[in-house]
Amino acid sequence: MTTLAKPRLRFSLDTVSNYAVIIAFAVVVVIFSLTADGFLTGSNLMNLISNKVVLLAIIALGMTIVIGAGGIDLSVGVSIDLSSMIFIMMIAAGYAGFFAIMGGLAAAFCVGLANAILINKLKINPFLATLGVLFIGQSIQRLSTQGGVPIYLTRAEYAAPFDAIARTNLAGVPAPIIVMILCIIAVYLALHRSVFGRYVAALGAQAEVARYSGIRVAFNLSVVFIACAVLSGITGILLSSTVRSYVPFAGDAFLLDAIGATFIGTAISAERRPSVIGTLLGVLLLAVMRNGLLLIGWNFFWQQVGIGVLVFLVLGLSFGLKKRSE
Amino acid sequence: MSALSNVKGPKSTRAGSKTLAKLAIRLGAFVAFAGILVYFAMTARGFTSPYNLMTVVEQSAILGLLAFGMTIVFAGTGTDVQRGGIDLSLAANAGLCAAVYAVMMREGYGNGLAIPAALITGMVVGLLNGIAVVSLRIIPLLGTLAVMNIAAGLELTLTENTVVSVSTPLMQVIAFGKFMGISTLAWCLIVVSMLLVWVMHFHRIGMRVYAVGGHHEAARAAGIDTGRYIYGAYIFAGFLAGVTSILIVSRLSSSTPGTGLMLLPILAAALLGTVFSRRFIPTIGGTLLAALFIGFLANGFQLLGISSYWVAGVQGALILLVVAVTSFAKNN
Repeated sequence: MTTLAKPRLRFSLDTVSNYAVIIAFAVVVVIFSLTADGFLTGSNLMNLISNKVVLLAIIALGMTIVIGAGGIDLSVGVSIDLSSMIFIMMIAAGYAGFFAIMGGLAAAFCVGLANAILINKLKINPFLATLGVLFIGQSIQRLSTQGGVPIYLTRAEYAAPFDAIARTNLAGVPAPIIVMILCIIAVYLALHRSVFGRYVAALGAQAEVARYSGIRVAFNLSVVFIACAVLSGITGILLSSTVRSYVPFAGDAFLLDAIGATFIGTAISAERRPSVIGTLLGVLLLAVMRNGLLLIGWNFFWQQVGIGVLVFLVLGLSFGLKKRSE
Repeated sequence: MSALSNVKGPKSTRAGSKTLAKLAIRLGAFVAFAGILVYFAMTARGFTSPYNLMTVVEQSAILGLLAFGMTIVFAGTGTDVQRGGIDLSLAANAGLCAAVYAVMMREGYGNGLAIPAALITGMVVGLLNGIAVVSLRIIPLLGTLAVMNIAAGLELTLTENTVVSVSTPLMQVIAFGKFMGISTLAWCLIVVSMLLVWVMHFHRIGMRVYAVGGHHEAARAAGIDTGRYIYGAYIFAGFLAGVTSILIVSRLSSSTPGTGLMLLPILAAALLGTVFSRRFIPTIGGTLLAALFIGFLANGFQLLGISSYWVAGVQGALILLVVAVTSFAKNN
């Protein structure tokens, strides 16, 4: 036997740090299975996925692309809301469901395009550019709804297009879940199995180097921000079909959870890079926490504290145990 | 203003056209501010009345003080928001402190205990940020996000999402008192900004904070305990949130849910403030001007009878315009 064959002990705190999220997820699931009645029942898990996971997952996928490219998008709420608003307004005006969906997605596309122009042409950093768009989007919503009056379309005459989206089943799987799965596959292929994905990774790691390597930075960044906006737009349409209404500023609630889920997801890769799998794990962790805490009887306020503490601990484990790279 | 900038900093001997262009851009920010003031003065009736001007300063005091906290965090950690530092928990922290203060007053503890409790709460939240960012090395955007959730959740559990009304003689003094014709809130803004200008721009503590934010490795190589200064920046920002919370409760006679929504205006003020500085860095004076600018803009709109629905949009467009011009100037 040569000395080379001697296995080295690979167990170290550094390796453990890469599994912090997975460990936390497992622990949370086990604890809730033991303490929360009805946590592991099929109906609860279905409710968990369709109510807590679907919408957040699609937005977080968009956020994963943007953060992967080294940017951030604070305007996802605007994409969600404007898409939802145009969709509902077109349904109310009597357009067919298909055109209303296209209208909503076009609105979201415009938000992404605005972000792309601000970032590429005016050289504003993504945080500020999307912050500005967020403010402007809030004004647009106020102006078109007399200050923020929701639009409810609950009467039966409007039900058909909404039910076609929110209440159809394909082989027992509700349509929103199918949309989510399609989005997951699309983003996974784009980010992890395509040239575009390599460009995104290069932009996120070293934008300058990417530019000198001949990558079309402006074009790829535009695609990134538009993709994120359109994914958020899809969420807006799913959201308003489920509740058959448009509530101004409803999308803002998703922003911080989407950023949180994406960054929690970075903890599973050794380089701390965003990935589709990681983001989905982050979304599931947040959703399971919300659902489990609700089942064991914590009210909404304490749920927020609990989630904050959990995220803090997971990130602390993940980043704190990691070896200093300097 | 050009005379002021000559006095303020040593002029580089390499002052060429680049400096001139930068100076023009920088003066541009002042000219834009002055231009908008003059426009409102001419068109909006009552804009220039001392009462109105004082109201704007009062309204800007709360935003300004919180934005100072953000400015100091920016100064100590660099303005690159994704990699560098930011404090997303600042507004939620102020809300939590306000809740602590109001609830303790309601339970009859008195100012002697409630005020220190609010300040300590703010500093503890700041300490949590410091632990997350410095000791655990979590990305600031993310670490402070988690802390924001904790602070916002605790505020909700304390107040159960209701308005907690309180009224004390001290709060009357803060909300309505006047000294030399200037109201207490305005005095708070003036005194705190003067103190902070001294500490941040003329004292070695401030110099070191800027050194840590400007170039972390260089600052460490120069023998500065960088971690301690970043801790300090977050804790001080938390302290300012505690101070501001008492002003908020006094002004509204209550702790009201929704203080956390101030996060975006705070960020806007702190970032907009950078265009008023010579090197486009966050400064106390710049943030003060930006907070007043935002205040005057909202006030002028109100007096002109323009729908308040426009305010957020115009603020956003303004931020974009200013930042675009700034980055254009930087690249030249």
